[in-house]
Amino acid sequence: MTDFDVVVVGAGRAGTAAAYRLAQENVDVALVDRARQPGMKNVTGGVLYGEVLADLVPEFPEEAPLGRHVVEHNVQMLHDDASIGVSYRDPAIREEPNYTVQLGEFDRWFVRKAEEQGATFVPETTVRGVEQREGHAVVATDRDGGDITCNAVVGADGVNTTVGRTTGIRDPVQPENVGLSVKQVIELDRKTIDERFNLRSGEGTAYIFAGFPEGAPSVGYFIYTFESTISVGAVGNMATLQTYGDQGYDGQGTPLYDLLTRFKELDAVRPLVRGGVAQEYQGILVPEFGYDDLPNRHEGRVCLVGDAAGLVLNKGFTFRGLDFGVESGIRAAEAAMQCRKRGNWNAFGERYDALLGDSYVMDELRQHSRLPSFLENERLYEAYPAVARETLKQTFSSEGDASGLTWKHALTALRRQDVGVRDLLADGWRAFRSV
Amino acid sequence: MSTDEYLDDVEWTVDDQGHITVDNGDCEDCSDKPCLHLCPAECFDHQEERQGEIYFSYEHCIECGACLVFCGNDPDKGAVSWTKPEGGKGVEYDFG
Repeated sequence: MTDFDVVVVGAGRAGTAAAYRLAQENVDVALVDRARQPGMKNVTGGVLYGEVLADLVPEFPEEAPLGRHVVEHNVQMLHDDASIGVSYRDPAIREEPNYTVQLGEFDRWFVRKAEEQGATFVPETTVRGVEQREGHAVVATDRDGGDITCNAVVGADGVNTTVGRTTGIRDPVQPENVGLSVKQVIELDRKTIDERFNLRSGEGTAYIFAGFPEGAPSVGYFIYTFESTISVGAVGNMATLQTYGDQGYDGQGTPLYDLLTRFKELDAVRPLVRGGVAQEYQGILVPEFGYDDLPNRHEGRVCLVGDAAGLVLNKGFTFRGLDFGVESGIRAAEAAMQCRKRGNWNAFGERYDALLGDSYVMDELRQHSRLPSFLENERLYEAYPAVARETLKQTFSSEGDASGLTWKHALTALRRQDVGVRDLLADGWRAFRSV
Repeated sequence: MSTDEYLDDVEWTVDDQGHITVDNGDCEDCSDKPCLHLCPAECFDHQEERQGEIYFSYEHCIECGACLVFCGNDPDKGAVSWTKPEGGKGVEYDFG
């Protein structure tokens, strides 16, 4: 007889979704988290694509503490102090339940919903390891006498997953496979945010930026609006940050917080973030795997969900991960329900993997499998912004021989950047194939 | 270039034991010392008089895991021994 049927390690969206779904089906489930209160250890950008959560918790859009309803997306290419942007609003996607969220209050709400369904929440408890034995699994914690026995373990403990590392399911993570991200939360009043970003009450906007500093591959920035705060952050592949620039000990490397500070001072950015009172600073790693090199995510009675399984899609400085976490947590719960019905938990991990394989999470990752290598192309961050800038300058400048947008100008600018037409066509083809 | 201004806004329940330890003997052979620019909380400080020129303090760690990846997991470095703090200890975010 075990203490619980299932122990879920980590109360983020993935783990809490698993616990909620299991408790809903009267499965005996413990949700273990190391924070004093849910959410205190959790960090996101972040935008929640809420459709899958609305299916799980129907009252979610009305009841959950949400930031703003995202009705606008902006993409800005930076080149020195010049910026070129696209702003996208569309009634066709206006009704989608996509919101900015701050996890302090959101995860507290979500864990309470799981408790209402009957899940046992165990706070202030750090899991030190998971061991599989004959007929059960043991979750070792830092509590006195705190070993918990169970039939199956769901590792929802994030990018640095203890469950994945101590079971050997995950190999040590390499710098190429993580983005380092830092983020600052700045308080502005609600009216200022509405006016500054051209929003109606409750409406939100998302900005992503690339091209700064010039030629830095795989470094991007974001700004999201919340009710009376904005978040502004930077994210860069760790291998890039290790060697790009000249600020490190041996003359290589760039501190990300320094890039964030410089980013906030750019002409294109300062008007958006100025004023206000800084409230919080956070740092986090973001999994950056392609579909073809996703890490292992199960073994025997143990499975990994959400960030612990690397289930994040990098769509070019915007990350899709919160809803993948929710969906993978639900799939883990379904696998557990199958095992309980059959009275055999040995194939829990395999069942989870099969269910996840049929989900939209793997479809989306598969569909974008070529995107990561496309995004590493340095021309995207150096030559193309410069070319676009040159071409637009020819169009809009009132000086000299500016005679409008022509292919000749574009090609001249490309040559100046040492980009051949062959490169241009090849990159275009790769972009087409990667989405 | 400093995180002082950023870290002013962060809160911790500091444990009396460190959750991360650094074996400075391994820092002696490390030529690039990525910890000095990649840790987003500047927990690694360059002090020439220290063994391997590194001084590490865990108290203002924001638990991102970067040092596990750039040092702990690197077979050529490996100075960092990384765990998560005891339950209820360490960084505490209001917003997240």
